[in-house]
Amino acid sequence: MQNGRNAQPFVHQVWNLLLIELTNWRWSWRSMIVLGTIAPLLSMLGLSVFARDAGFEALTYVLTGNIVLALMFGIMNNVQSHLIFMRFMGSLDYFGTLPVRKSALILAIILAFFLLALPAVLVTTFVGSWLLGIILQPSLWLLLVIPICTLPLSGVGALIGVMARTQAESGTISTLLTLVMLGLGPVVIPPDRLPSFLQTLGRLSPATYAASALRQTLLGPVTPQLWLDVGVLLLLGGLVFWLVDRKMDWRQRQ
Amino acid sequence: MIVYDIQHLNKTYPGQPYPANDEISLQIRQGEIFGLLGDNGAGKSTLVKQMVNLLRPSSGTIRLLERPLTHNPLHVPLNVGYMPQESAALNNLTFGEALYFTAHLRGLSRTAAQQERDRLLTLWQTESLRDQYSSRLSGGQRRLLRLAVAMAGQPPILILDEPTNDLDPQRRKLVWDVLREENQQRGTTIIFITHDAIEAEKVIQRVGIMRAGKLVANGRPSELKQAVDQKLRLELFFAPGQEPDVPTHLPKHVVQTGHWLLLLDWDEGTAVLNQLNLDQIDDFRLYTATLEDLYLHYAKRP
Repeated sequence: MQNGRNAQPFVHQVWNLLLIELTNWRWSWRSMIVLGTIAPLLSMLGLSVFARDAGFEALTYVLTGNIVLALMFGIMNNVQSHLIFMRFMGSLDYFGTLPVRKSALILAIILAFFLLALPAVLVTTFVGSWLLGIILQPSLWLLLVIPICTLPLSGVGALIGVMARTQAESGTISTLLTLVMLGLGPVVIPPDRLPSFLQTLGRLSPATYAASALRQTLLGPVTPQLWLDVGVLLLLGGLVFWLVDRKMDWRQRQ
Repeated sequence: MIVYDIQHLNKTYPGQPYPANDEISLQIRQGEIFGLLGDNGAGKSTLVKQMVNLLRPSSGTIRLLERPLTHNPLHVPLNVGYMPQESAALNNLTFGEALYFTAHLRGLSRTAAQQERDRLLTLWQTESLRDQYSSRLSGGQRRLLRLAVAMAGQPPILILDEPTNDLDPQRRKLVWDVLREENQQRGTTIIFITHDAIEAEKVIQRVGIMRAGKLVANGRPSELKQAVDQKLRLELFFAPGQEPDVPTHLPKHVVQTGHWLLLLDWDEGTAVLNQLNLDQIDDFRLYTATLEDLYLHYAKRP
């Protein structure tokens, strides 16, 4: 009597789960526009007032730092709030009883929020460069760097979502971490304006490496530092996703 | 063939002094309709969550189709359709999308999944809800959606947690009719939790009754009835103030004005009916113990 049917191939699982996850825009498009676009643009406007006096380099930090902010709001915070919602509202149980792999679901959630955050990232980039008077000199590496930047950020969001005890706790931690990662290290502020301890602590934050990689591939020049940034982002991404896989409430293992 | 084989299952939640499931041993056979009854907090949902591998038992074993649940991560999902009591999983999807995606992810091709969606929409008389977002459905409509989703892709085993809650009498009847048909036509094994003992009796083939985490009764309703209570129940309905003549030795429970319940031994049923003056009564019912009587006997006794 065993069901002779097989599960869909992994790629089909991801594709169908992605289509399901993309329907999140039906409830979250307002917050995505407000947090993903308006917040970085307002922050950019405010910071640019001070950065203009500090020179061109400071403006480049304001631009790329706020693109990282758009990624954090659009991906990290949304992945976090989506996963905690799924845990508390029984959605994970639904997916856990379908023949799909956990990794397919995690990948689909991240891909969906990456796609949903892209408009905000593009608007922040183009409107920001116009507001700050910065000419963009994008490298082809940018196409690789943007998804790599989202890996550890979405992973951190997912980790908060699967580990927090309540929805309120999850939201608070995520917002707090967004602010800490922005202030910690040279993300929106150039390193020469930061005390040395913040620069040192910033080496632990994925936002620092994401901002550095974006700065090089969006404004040039690309230096060997990019490979260090990409390497650290991949390493941190791998580490947080390993933790997410371990901690996510799912089917029981042997 | 044994579909589920549960042996000495215990589940204690962290920080809780008492087990939610206490030494449960149970076997469910292929093609059975098995009902699980019990009060709120008796441990029924905990048991089924372990059966679909969403909760890890504290001790004991569960085998599905002769294999441990953890044998392969997709062993349960490929064979069992589960309907949870509550779920917001499908809130962003329309009724039709939820059915299509579930059927497709359960292994059906795109075309077959579309056909399955249409079949289920017709089966559950929900064609008009196809394009409605599930978050905008009423409680009863959402329950029908969860039932249809559990059945999408025709898994050979269904586990349903309170399938008829929130439903009006017409839809409750539809649920029991559909489940009975599913069982008879496809041989689907159906395991469900319900508080609706009277309605469930129409389809149930074997029943388990839980109290305080223990499985206190398990068997065919007729077997359990014989073991518990061999009395016949005779209900009499009459105009208030015009009490009918009944044998004086029979204990008489006044249910309300104009409605009595008499308990008879099996061998006196015919004699008592013959003695009744049908001109004195409006209506009568004669029946054996119901599933609800069994439930009350096992689940409520101290």
